[in-house]
Amino acid sequence: MSKFNRSRRGLYTASVAAMAFAAAISGSVTAASAAEVTIGVLVPLTGELGEFGSIVAKGVELAANEINAAGGTSCGTIRTVVADTAGEPDHAIRAATKMIESDGAVAILGPTSGEMVALVDLAKRKKTVIVSPYAGTITLNKLGGDFVYRTVSSDLGDGAASGLWLTERGYKRVAFLVQNEESTISPAQVARTKVEKSGIEITDYVVYNPGQPSYQAELTAVLAHKPDAIYLAGGQESGVTVIKEATAGGFKGEWLFTADLAVPEIFDAVGARLLNDRAYVEFADADKSLPEYKAFEALHVAKAGEAPGPFAANSFDMMNLVALSLQASGDCTGAGINSAIRGVSEGGVAVSSFADGKAAIAAGKDIDYQGASGPLTFDASGTVAGAYSIQAAKDGAWVNTKFYPASLFD
Amino acid sequence: MIWAQLLTTVVMFGSVYAVLTLALNLQYARGGMINFGMVAYFAAGAYAYAIVTQAPPEGLDQYLFGFAAPWWAGFLAAGLASLAFAVLTGWPTLRLRGEYLALTTFAFAEVFHSVLLNERRIGNGSVGLSNVERPDVAWTGLDDTIVYAVAALTMMLATAYVFNRILASPYGRVLDAIREDELAAQTVGKKITRIRFEVFLISAIPVGFAGALYAMITTLVSPTLYTAEVTFTVWIALVLGGERTIVGAVLGTMALIFIQESLRVYPFETVRAAQIAASAEEILTGAIFIVMLRWQPFEKLMKKGRPS
Repeated sequence: MSKFNRSRRGLYTASVAAMAFAAAISGSVTAASAAEVTIGVLVPLTGELGEFGSIVAKGVELAANEINAAGGTSCGTIRTVVADTAGEPDHAIRAATKMIESDGAVAILGPTSGEMVALVDLAKRKKTVIVSPYAGTITLNKLGGDFVYRTVSSDLGDGAASGLWLTERGYKRVAFLVQNEESTISPAQVARTKVEKSGIEITDYVVYNPGQPSYQAELTAVLAHKPDAIYLAGGQESGVTVIKEATAGGFKGEWLFTADLAVPEIFDAVGARLLNDRAYVEFADADKSLPEYKAFEALHVAKAGEAPGPFAANSFDMMNLVALSLQASGDCTGAGINSAIRGVSEGGVAVSSFADGKAAIAAGKDIDYQGASGPLTFDASGTVAGAYSIQAAKDGAWVNTKFYPASLFD
Repeated sequence: MIWAQLLTTVVMFGSVYAVLTLALNLQYARGGMINFGMVAYFAAGAYAYAIVTQAPPEGLDQYLFGFAAPWWAGFLAAGLASLAFAVLTGWPTLRLRGEYLALTTFAFAEVFHSVLLNERRIGNGSVGLSNVERPDVAWTGLDDTIVYAVAALTMMLATAYVFNRILASPYGRVLDAIREDELAAQTVGKKITRIRFEVFLISAIPVGFAGALYAMITTLVSPTLYTAEVTFTVWIALVLGGERTIVGAVLGTMALIFIQESLRVYPFETVRAAQIAASAEEILTGAIFIVMLRWQPFEKLMKKGRPS
């Protein structure tokens, strides 16, 4: 037999296999068992945002444990399945598909900005709710609102807060160093507009690509214009290199970092000496004077043995909101959560924990969940209004310096 | 249930990647051309599809063109874009041989990636184009993941069929002759440069189509999806499957995607477990590659039943 015929027979066999495969799989999607309801936790545990991913996942875990301790939802106890995305949108799509189709997840919590944007279509198609505690991207202002929510404000507010701080500090000349990524460019654009309006001179606006061994080329030009301050919107890997190289290049001014660098690890990586008394960081933050936040902080210290990190409160709230939505709708699906999530977060009896909310719902009341991170009321795009903090580097740690309440940005 | 989902994912992504492996098989294993820039042709297809089908820019969008055309127009454009990019890169580079060609194609792909990343007027730069149009498949009555898996499989089989016809024809034998001994082929009157260029172009078209299908599957087109990692994945798949056979190229790709996916199949219920698994995954992948490349099980499988 010639080679050609043999191969062609192979192709026929493959075609038959394809049809058999399609027949075998169709209609075989099943839900999780009735006693428990599965929630996917999809976060970057490795890569540049790894530190945040683990804070978020632990925040969700803490909430899930509290919910289960209160007897779980009417759909059963919460079962979490956790997966790493490494910050890559394609990994996120594959992992989310797997969580929905084979683990039976009714909601997916924790994707970052780039991942959220990639998952919007999947969420709507599969009628599965996705919630992020830190995806500020402006793209979601357009895409969010139905099956897509976030317990954090949009980057528009983030950029506005940064702009406000740069103006208040009285700088005359500011340089912008911005990593070429969705989550860093969108707040930087807003901050830039604010700063320009207040008459501060922008000496440079440099968008750089991460993953380089050195940023000397970008920094040489920036430092030559002698800015009073540098606004650095960069990831943890590139940020560390930029800070070190700028200092080595003779930069004596002050820094303003964005949320990516708002972690304690930065002091070990850069060296506290280079940051103390001249570096500031801006990030979306909970209003720490709220009783709900204080209760959460106490719980976090008691259960996790440490103070909550950035976005921990937003993550805790996100899990509670999903659980309350399941409880309120009584429909244990993504569509059920989607139909109830706005209802449980506005208008009604104020509750601040899952247990209280469950009791109020059982008593036939409409509830308004007041979260640890804020009052949490979703706008048309599924976004909440947020407050922002500025922290200063003091003796090798981030210390609260300034708080901008949500009311400033409405 | 887990296995059904795993099978769908492997068939869907495996088939898309297998189209690339098949193109590489034609270019390298049969045509003797080392192309280290496969991802660029894939990306060209995906971006062309997204730009043609995308609605015109509004609000915060920074891209210039969106034609809101139907999916099939985008699909055709994807094949054309990949072909055009192959003309652009093939014409000046195909005079080069061996590692020189490898380096040049790699450089072209990196330049293309850099342009997509930094020129925000093409596809929003690093933000990418989201919510990419995908044809509605509800009329089939099946879950759309399955429909797309079948579509990918069909595309892969069609590519395999066409490439098989080409390679089994006298044209294929000319190709083999050129690879084995260029001078001899030239001496009997074969136009080497032209034939190499033709093969380069022919193999680029399905890669563009695969790019369009990949954009429909992910509904996102962004530079982070199209890095050199794609090229390396395809090369590893080709090596795994053993060179020079179509079935080998397909099996190698499927096996590679299966390994990647099966490592993630287990649902980890705690953060700690997921963290450990994420770290262990790369080690495990490396170990499996070493084993596979040392003993080459697929190549042995291919050789069985082949007349010596």
